[in-house]
Order: sequence, then structure tokens, then C-alpha cells
Amino acid sequence: MSNSEHLANVMVQCFIDAVSNGVDLVPVVADSTSTSKIKPFVEAFPDRLVNVGIAEQVMVGTAVGLALSGKVAATCNAAPFLISRSNEQVKVDVCYNNTNVKLFGLNAGASYGPLASTHHSIDDISIMRGFGNIQIFAPACPVECKQIIEYAIQHDGPVYIRMDGKALPVLHDSEFQFTPGDPSLLREGKQVVICALGSVVHEAVAAADRLKDGGIEVSVVNVSSIRPLNRQGLANQLSGTDYVVSVEEHNVNGGLGSVVAEIMAEQGITAKLVRLGVEDGGYAAAGDRPYTRKMLSIDSGGIVAVCQQLVNETTV
Amino acid sequence: MNPFQLDVDELEKKARSIRRKIIRLNADSPAGGHTGADLSQVEIVTSLYFRLLNCAPDRVSDDDRDIYIQSKGHAAGGYYCCLAEAGYFPEEWLSSYQHNDSHLPGHPVRQKTPGVELNTGALGHGLPVAVGLALAAKRDGRSRKVYVLTGDGELAEGSNWEAALVASHYQLDNLIVINDKNRLQLAGSTESIMKTDPLDQKWQAFGFSVTQCDGNDVASIVRTLEALKAEGQPNVVIANTTKGAGVSFIAGRPEWHHRVPKGEEIDLALKELADV
Repeated sequence: MSNSEHLANVMVQCFIDAVSNGVDLVPVVADSTSTSKIKPFVEAFPDRLVNVGIAEQVMVGTAVGLALSGKVAATCNAAPFLISRSNEQVKVDVCYNNTNVKLFGLNAGASYGPLASTHHSIDDISIMRGFGNIQIFAPACPVECKQIIEYAIQHDGPVYIRMDGKALPVLHDSEFQFTPGDPSLLREGKQVVICALGSVVHEAVAAADRLKDGGIEVSVVNVSSIRPLNRQGLANQLSGTDYVVSVEEHNVNGGLGSVVAEIMAEQGITAKLVRLGVEDGGYAAAGDRPYTRKMLSIDSGGIVAVCQQLVNETTV
Repeated sequence: MNPFQLDVDELEKKARSIRRKIIRLNADSPAGGHTGADLSQVEIVTSLYFRLLNCAPDRVSDDDRDIYIQSKGHAAGGYYCCLAEAGYFPEEWLSSYQHNDSHLPGHPVRQKTPGVELNTGALGHGLPVAVGLALAAKRDGRSRKVYVLTGDGELAEGSNWEAALVASHYQLDNLIVINDKNRLQLAGSTESIMKTDPLDQKWQAFGFSVTQCDGNDVASIVRTLEALKAEGQPNVVIANTTKGAGVSFIAGRPEWHHRVPKGEEIDLALKELADV
């Protein structure tokens, strides 16, 4: 695997490996063959893909029927349409029926940038958290993504995986071992604890390194596993600091910021929390990714500024 | 193979028995019911479970069994009465319909009730899932057939027509859709709320092989379903029914969409449904 990889390519290679190893895995797409970068899979297994056309409700329903027939069904299409257009099929057919369907929400967050809010998925984590049975993951790098998908394929039950839409560099070394539920500590420092989700973990790490150069020590916790979640483990990471900052390319309501707020309240952690992401009642700006992230203060510069402001509050 | 294989006379008797169960089940429900929808479908589910379906209570995990999906999930009561009559669970359970923590909730839940293949209740879900089941069976070379029962009001849900496109595209001739066409829905007649006619032409245009039958006549249902032989095309059977069929003061009356018999209505209904 190269140092930087598109997560959809990782997904497709995992599918090829699974079928090669005897897993009866069937990807289901809604005309989304280019979105899912599924061509190498089709070349390897020409008769296996199911394409239902531009129709997300039947994409999810068909996947459920395939799963009830003993197959590992994997829907692969753009996250905004998967979550919104087929919302009741996800709730009822996948989750309530507890079927063995893996939902890949591709190009999630504001990956589609200038295509504007119809194509942004800034509500998927909050919606999926409201549904029963389903496990929820948001990989931050190709290595982690591969391990999450391998786990999801062997797990008997529904899984949602939030996939970023750009090539992402590797964050973890070869020793990394993904454990469902466990947040991973990427930088350590107690002046501020930054919790980040998905691709913006890279922004948080870059911010931490810049802050360290400026004499401010911050932790970066990658919360790739939303359900299951080792809540005590995350609480331990959040303890002993005066400031917690959550960072996500998602609405601040119902996503990582809400998870962190719940855990802090439940565990009696009294640090000040700043939630960075799409503000209450808002949408992500339509523009390229640097612009969109800058507007939301979820780029490394914005995170640095917020952390500096918080730390300076203490020292004044 | 179906374990019962009843003839038409026996199916008619069975249907009457199931109707009596429906009256009692709804009368015992603390949370209302859908008596009209339960009664409308009786001959359809009876013909399937006691003659046509290749499935049985001791084969609920058999990979080759036929699958029946009750997409009109609000008619769970009638479905439960048929499953009980066929031996999928004890008849005593019927008196617990919609009671707290019952095996028989107000809409089908497969985790709760033996024989239920899919959780339904929200409409327009059965057909897309049936498409996936039928597609898997074809790919795996199984003889399985997949039957799905929809209401006619339910056909306003667009997911059905998405699924119809896919069923036709993938030539799912092992899929049999039955429309319980009783011409009534919650708020009134389908004609006034959202007309689906000409329904046969719509299905034909979507690539289905279309037949019609009298959905409250077991002879007509059996004859129609046993004669299906569309090759390379999914099937739809438009079963023309009367909502609340079998009980004179319920049949055809919209108010019985979500009503249950009470007091002397129970005795009157049971008297009409006595074996002749």
C-alpha cells in the first residue's frame, strides 16, 4: 500500500481479498461504479456486482435480501444519498431486521465540496447513532480503513463505515492494530485534548505539531469507532485537561462533538468543551476543501487558533 | 413441498377457521387492530401456507424453502392466525396479540415470531427485499420462490416501483408479487386517495407477467398461482378482494381499517363464520 491512498480503493481491494478467500460478498451499487472505484472488482469477478440503477431504496432493500440469503452484502454509493434517500430502508430493513449488510458511505462529510449541500453528508453519524444494532466507524487513514473493513466483513451484523472522498496519507505505523471501540492516541499533551473523527484527524495532528513547535502540548485522539465505543477509555483520554476540542467534518449536533459532551457529562469531567464542525442549524460552505474547512475552523490553522486562544485564557 | 397440500374444499374450511381466529384475536387486542386488512387477505395466505409454499414449521432455516413476505405489515393479525393454524407457534399466543412483551406485536417482527421472514409495517419494504432474495436464489441455482404480498394502497410508495424495475431488469421469474387489491386504504378508497389503475397495465409496462384472480376465492387463487409460468419475467397476481371479507358488517366498510370487534359484534361475526 502506498503512503497515500483513496479509501474506496482500499475498500475494493478488501472486497477482492474477501471473495478470493471464499467470502460470499456481493457489492451493491446504485449506478455508483465510478464513485465506488469498483472496476478492479468487476474485472476480477465479472458476474458478482449488483447494480440497481439510480435507486437507493431498492439498493438497500436488495442488499438486505442478499444478506438474508447468506451473503455478505455491501452497499457502495455516495453517503448523502445512502443516508438520506434510503433512510427508512436503513432503519427498518438493515438495522431493525439486524441483517448482515455493510453500508459504505462514500465521499462523506463535505468531500464533494463545490457540488454543495445536496452532496454533503454532515448528518450521517448523528442519524446512524439513532438506529439500533448497527456498528459505526469512520476510518482516518488507509491502514485503519483496511482493518476496519476486514473486521466489518467478518462481523455478523450491520455496519456503517463513513468513508472520506480524497486520498489520505497513512497515520498509523505497521504495528497498528485496530480494536473496535478503542480510540487511538496519536499525540500526547494535556494542555488541550483534541478529539477528531475521520479525515480531519490529519488536520488535528498537523495542528498539534504546529502547537508543539510553539510550546503548547496537546493530545490528539482519533475516535474512529463510534459504536462500539470504549467510553471509559475515551473518558480517560479526556481527563486531566482544562480544554477539550472536538473536530469533525459533520454537524456539531449528534456527531463526535455530542459523543464527547455526553461522556464528559456522564463521567463528571469538567473541562471546557469547544465543538468544531458545521454549526448548529448550518450547512457546510460550497467550495474546495481548504476553503470549506477554513470556514468551519476545522483546518489545521483553525484548530491551532482555537487551541491558542483557549490556552491563553489560562495564562492571562 | 408443502406439508398440507389441501384441496379447495379443505382450503375453504381452513380459511373460515382462520377468519374466526382473526375475530377473536382482534377482540382480545388491547391496542386496536386492522380487522379489515386481516380478513381481506385470508384466502391468499391460506392458499399459500396450506397448498402452495414449499416451507413448513420444521424447515424455517432450510435454504431451499420458499419465502413469503408480508409486506402489508399492518395485516399482521391475519398473518399470525394463519401461521398459528399452520403450526409455526402455539395457538395460545394469539390471545396475546399486541399485549405487553407479546410474541405477536402489532407489526411482524422476525426476532419475536417463528415463521416471520422479515420485519415489516412501514410500507413499500417487502418488494425491494424480495428482489434481493430472488436474485440470490437465481445466482445460487436454488429452486426457491419468493412471494410478497402488498396492499393496493401500499403501491403508492415509490420503493415498489424501484424494485419493479430491478426485478424486471434481472429477469426474476422466481418472484411472485401478489397485490391484495381491496380498493380501500386508511383514509378512504384508493380511487379517491391515489388511484393505481390501470394497475395491470402499469405492471406490464414495468416488464411483469400479469394475471388477475378473485382474491377471496381459493379456487381462483390456486388455479392462478399454480398456472404461473412466466419465464424470464417476474410475476404479479392482482388479487381482487373485499376488505373485511367474510363478515357482512365489516366487509367493504372503511371504518374497519383500524377497528376491532366488540361486544355482540364478536358473536355475530363468529356466527357468520361458523362451519357449514
